[in-house]
Amino acid sequence: MRLTRKTDQAETAKKPALGLNRRQFLQSAGLATGGIAAASMLGAGMMRKAEAKEVPHNAPTEIKRTICSHCSVGCGIYAEVQNGVWTGQEPAFDHPFNAGGHCAKGAALREHGHGEKRLKYPMKLEGGKWKKISWDQAIEEVGGKALDIRKESGPDSVFFMGSAKFSNEQAYMYRKFAAMWGTNNVDHSARICHSTTVAGVANTWGYGAQTNSFNDIRNAKAMMFIGSNPCEAHPVAMQHILEGKERGAKIIVVDPRFTRTAAKSDEYVHIRPGTDIPYIYGLLWHIFENKWEDQSFIDQRVYGMERIREEAAKWNPAEVENVAGVPKEQMYRVAKMLAETKPGTVVWCMGGTQHHVGNANTRAYCILQLALGNMGVAGGGTNIFRGHDNVQGATDFGLLFDTLPGYYGLKTGSWKHWCNVWDLDYEWVKNRFDQEEHLGQVPMNSTGIPCSRWHDGVLEDKSKIAQKDNIRMAFFWGQSVNTETRGREVREALDKMDTVVVVDPFPTMAGVMHNRKDGVYLLPASTQFETYGSVSASNRSLQWRTQVIEPLFESKPDHVIMYKLAKKWGIEKEFCKHIKVNGDEPLIEDMTREFNKGMWTIGYTGQSPERLKMHQENWGTFDINSLEAPGGPAKGETYGLPWPCWGTPEMKHPGSQILYRTGREVKNGGGNFRARYGVEHNGNNILAEGSYPKGSEIKDGYPEFTADMLKQLGWWDDLTPEEKKHAEGKNWKTDISGGIQRVAIKHGCMPYGNAKARCIVWNFPDDIPLHREPLYTPRRDLVSKYPTYEDRMVARLPTLYKTIQDQDFAKDFPIALTSGRLVEFEGGGEETRSNPWLAELQQEMFIEISPGDAADRGLRDGDDVWVHSPEGAKIKVQAMVTPRVINGECFMPYHFAGVFEGESLEKNYPEGTVPYVIGESANTVLTYGYDVVTQMQETKSSLCQITKA
Amino acid sequence: MAVMKFLCDTKRCIECNGCVTACKNENDSALEWGIQRRRVVTINDGEPGEASLSVACMHCTDAPCQAVCPANCFYKTEDGLTLHNKDTCIGCGYCLYACPFGAPQFPKKGAFGSRGKMDKCTFCAGGPEETHSDAERQKYGSNRLAEGKLPMCAELCATKSLLAGDADIVSSIYRDRIVARGNPNAIWGYTPKTGA
Amino acid sequence: MLLKSLRGLFALLVLPFVLTMGLGLSTSALAVDDQTSQQMANSSEVDLWHAVKAGDSGYTTKKGVESGVLINVSAIEATEIKNQYLTPAMGLAVLGVFGAFIVFYFVNGPSKLSKGYSGKMVLRWSKADLWIHWVLAISCLGLILTGINIMLGKHILEPYVGEGMWAGLISASKFIHDYVGPVFIISWILCVVKWMPLQTFKMYDLKWFLVVGGYINFGPFKGKHPDSGFANAGEKMWFWTLTLFGLFISVSGMMLVLPGLDLPREASFAALLIHAISAIIIIAFTIVHIWMATVLSEGGMECMKSGYCDENWAVQHHNLWYDEIKANDTLEYKD
Repeated sequence: MRLTRKTDQAETAKKPALGLNRRQFLQSAGLATGGIAAASMLGAGMMRKAEAKEVPHNAPTEIKRTICSHCSVGCGIYAEVQNGVWTGQEPAFDHPFNAGGHCAKGAALREHGHGEKRLKYPMKLEGGKWKKISWDQAIEEVGGKALDIRKESGPDSVFFMGSAKFSNEQAYMYRKFAAMWGTNNVDHSARICHSTTVAGVANTWGYGAQTNSFNDIRNAKAMMFIGSNPCEAHPVAMQHILEGKERGAKIIVVDPRFTRTAAKSDEYVHIRPGTDIPYIYGLLWHIFENKWEDQSFIDQRVYGMERIREEAAKWNPAEVENVAGVPKEQMYRVAKMLAETKPGTVVWCMGGTQHHVGNANTRAYCILQLALGNMGVAGGGTNIFRGHDNVQGATDFGLLFDTLPGYYGLKTGSWKHWCNVWDLDYEWVKNRFDQEEHLGQVPMNSTGIPCSRWHDGVLEDKSKIAQKDNIRMAFFWGQSVNTETRGREVREALDKMDTVVVVDPFPTMAGVMHNRKDGVYLLPASTQFETYGSVSASNRSLQWRTQVIEPLFESKPDHVIMYKLAKKWGIEKEFCKHIKVNGDEPLIEDMTREFNKGMWTIGYTGQSPERLKMHQENWGTFDINSLEAPGGPAKGETYGLPWPCWGTPEMKHPGSQILYRTGREVKNGGGNFRARYGVEHNGNNILAEGSYPKGSEIKDGYPEFTADMLKQLGWWDDLTPEEKKHAEGKNWKTDISGGIQRVAIKHGCMPYGNAKARCIVWNFPDDIPLHREPLYTPRRDLVSKYPTYEDRMVARLPTLYKTIQDQDFAKDFPIALTSGRLVEFEGGGEETRSNPWLAELQQEMFIEISPGDAADRGLRDGDDVWVHSPEGAKIKVQAMVTPRVINGECFMPYHFAGVFEGESLEKNYPEGTVPYVIGESANTVLTYGYDVVTQMQETKSSLCQITKA
Repeated sequence: MAVMKFLCDTKRCIECNGCVTACKNENDSALEWGIQRRRVVTINDGEPGEASLSVACMHCTDAPCQAVCPANCFYKTEDGLTLHNKDTCIGCGYCLYACPFGAPQFPKKGAFGSRGKMDKCTFCAGGPEETHSDAERQKYGSNRLAEGKLPMCAELCATKSLLAGDADIVSSIYRDRIVARGNPNAIWGYTPKTGA
Repeated sequence: MLLKSLRGLFALLVLPFVLTMGLGLSTSALAVDDQTSQQMANSSEVDLWHAVKAGDSGYTTKKGVESGVLINVSAIEATEIKNQYLTPAMGLAVLGVFGAFIVFYFVNGPSKLSKGYSGKMVLRWSKADLWIHWVLAISCLGLILTGINIMLGKHILEPYVGEGMWAGLISASKFIHDYVGPVFIISWILCVVKWMPLQTFKMYDLKWFLVVGGYINFGPFKGKHPDSGFANAGEKMWFWTLTLFGLFISVSGMMLVLPGLDLPREASFAALLIHAISAIIIIAFTIVHIWMATVLSEGGMECMKSGYCDENWAVQHHNLWYDEIKANDTLEYKD
């Protein structure tokens, strides 16, 4: 729905009713009224003085197309630049994602061009004082310090915290940077955001990403939001969601809290924090009981549903009501609604993922959709909304402790593939790593230390961790540490490390929350508006951003800073072997081309810079309903070439808006579930049966394509001689000519094979989703029936489960605590709290508490309270007494920082960088608890006590 | 002549505050910390029946602010907008008392006497100063209407909840929505046959 | 809750005044605006709009007083009252009273001293009294003139002075009004405290009223000189009016000039109305007072010039006071 622009009138200047132009009048009257007003003491000073940098209105205007850098919806923006100053922001009505719409953050984007509270130049903490230093000195000292530690403790003692704010190119380069330093201790906020989704969903059907798109939600007939609040976290997605609702879709919101999204729902379901699995099994109980499942879909495309049927039988309505607190009638109503209105989509976010059973939660949601047969169709799917603007891209490029770019993993074969792409000698790369084994793990091939627990990597007894030494130095590169739980340990770890390096446009919490006097470096990074490159939205579409302004102050783009450090470390030749370097800046397009050459697994290969720029120039040719271009230069392509965009750019694959869609040819973006786990399990066939994408020459399941398979099928000679050279002995993932993919697709087949989705993930601790009570549960009576895991080693770190759950905290800490987003702020909040237009809207850190709990504690709305954690920490925040939460549950937003356990950290910031709004971090009082597969932190079900301050 | 109006569709408003910061962004030069020309109010917050609504100056036909202003600093434009002249404003605050929507904002309070020059939504139509002059930008903010554009808040609305423009067009858009919602099977515009 | 009770308070405060003025209170609430009411009518959520129209408060990120209230209709009524009734009433108070007095003066003529001037001056007011009077008088006049400009200026002055001049005048009026206010309040307090003992009503004051103070030069009232003490009944009435409405105008004035109080709109508007009503009354009395002192009552003005009055004037207008000071020997002549 577009607004009709007014074109006929309003061209003339508005005049006062008197009919006399005010300026003319004043001239003729010879009296400046301001004179008298100014003479009065009170009248003066209302008008702001013109700023020197103000640009005249008629200065020539350049229009730059860029993408919002806050959330993952990927809203387009027209930035108006005059005399190099970002002077205006115009709605991109023709952008296929947002049609000009923005939330508070997007609408305030231009403030990036002011950056008043930014870090202005490199700084160093010396004797407790911030000292301005040069870039050369900064690189020399930081790089030197890292080399010293490398010599003493090995490369794994340096931790590389990355960022979801990187462009794809920067994310790719950062992973490569860590690899060439010789460590897998690289991670970013996806760990604490959707790592459980990526693991759980990919292990169910192939890829751990949003299966459909925001726009496709318009086609849904039912939507279930579980642990997702798009009104605050993805506001522009609501444009499509409400459009769907107005077309008749039913909205179900499942959340412990009555959110803004719940207000738009047809059915609001309250579940106790941490009971997603019982809730889903409860729905499945009704579905199986009433034979509402899509049996033919299950027979053809799903493996292991029988096991689920057995488990679901245990979750009868009475048990679900007992555990999750959902009334029996409502469970029936919701199950019926989902079964009768199809296609339906399931949307989840942090409410589902941030649990110690997060991976199982995400698998449970998938299983529900499989039972309903909602996968691979428009209006269906699992629409997993990612958080940051490029958290999808950063995840895809392996800013993760357990994989290389493209989810290749860390096995030797994976390393060899990437060495092949980089054109580097594998032995050279291997020798960059620590060659010893620790606790049976080989550093190069073993999962590193997660972003959620880098502090454990610093503080844990080094004999208990699977690497040579503790972490002694960390780069906090575009990620704020107030997003990690257990604030006291975070502070202790910052204090203990040799060197702390913050690379960020802002000082962030890592720069200010420690008690250090020395050894902290702040390196000013530029924002994405001061450079250019591609960014992947949650729906897997890649969008190109144009540079809006030159880097502000002395800041530098991230890839420049990486290159400078690489130079200091003497690895810059290898780092940029096939990337042109101008001065200290590697060429961005070359990075894109390089990853195009290696990202075969997930089809990041067809999106060349040229194709992406062409899409950028033609936003308006893509239809907002279908995301496809009915004509124009991108005719037939889906906007942003959502991955998998198979083969080489020359193959012109249109991108895959909807994953696993058998109703389309693979060459038009169709597909099926991925064959990733062999062809059989316990003697059962796990390949698809009688289901295949439209036009497939193989009309049944088949394993993933290899050179040998091509030969067996007699398709080998479809390869060109050049392709044959690269393809020999390789498979669809490692053939860097793309020939195997091309030939498979030519025959209508999916390069990754055609298998069933798995309800049983036999390589995980729980092969089917099992309910386990949160470590800090208020329901002690359920602990024996639904206990957590035994303590165990996860990746390199010992991880506690039972030890914590065995202690009864519920008596002294009776309120279940969850956390979440505010629409005005993003992530750790440093950037948004430094934006006055946003900061003004949320000036106080608060806790939502129910009227009943407030009354019990004698609290009134607006009172200061202490929130106490069972682990001892406490924070002082404002009480918001609201019916959004029920008795026994409370909620805090997690964007605040700058206050620690009642103590303001304002004095620790370099001058002029204190954000407009500071406050206690919710994560200071959030507690221990990590997903057994991915080390996701459990922030959505903890316990606390609230007392009057 | 056209009569310009705002209309907020509560069924779509999600309290994302995009309109609020859009206004701050566009009228940056004229606004300071604490002045928000637009605000979003949520009624029945956290309960069934919750609804949000974005509100600013409604540019009333018979504007109470204009009626009550002792300095007579308000004027109506040809587009039916209620604008004011900051040079004439004396900061008495009467318009704030009179406005049913709480639209007038004052930069100062606290001490004694004047509240400073009143500020309120201009429908992105500037003020009595010369169009697009520095003075206009410093005192009133942008003048999008003069460029043939509509107010920033409505143009950037995340869900197309806030509508602005000619009263007839705005109400016909809204009427169409009401009609479409009345029929659960109604489809707006073209629906592509995506997928099988 | 608070708002509801304030609204009640507002009604309680305003109603008596309006009724005393003989004006009816408008009971019909104005429709907020055509467009808005259309929007409301279109909405199916009748309850929501009832709540909104009733002024219910919601959640908002905007700071400040009442920012959670979407629509506050009470202001519409108050604006109505102000514009429909109070503005004309102010015009009436100024022009009407002034005009009536002129008519009265031409019909009746001044009140002469029946025995002429004696030439002997009797001390009536101390220096302090004179100071209080004149500070109060000048500040009051300043407030009246600037206040009339604030209330009526846009109708009676702006069309004739041009936009630039008007902006200056109205801005100066507001500035002067704000800063003279405190002077008025202080001198008013001193006046009330110092003079109150002299202003208690006595039985003979009733008789004074029955003959209209003896100022009427025709009919049955001609030549009457009713008893009166230091202050006659008319002056007492003026004093008490000033005391009462001075209190109202001071308190409401402070409510208006201290934005930091963060008052709800109802309270502010109530203050504005009370301020206006009080001003109308005080202005009407002030005009009478000035007329009496300067033109009507021969020898009256002299008292406030020097503090002394003519002995004959004292005998004629304040016989009981004269008798009293004579009796207790506190009578002081001017040297």
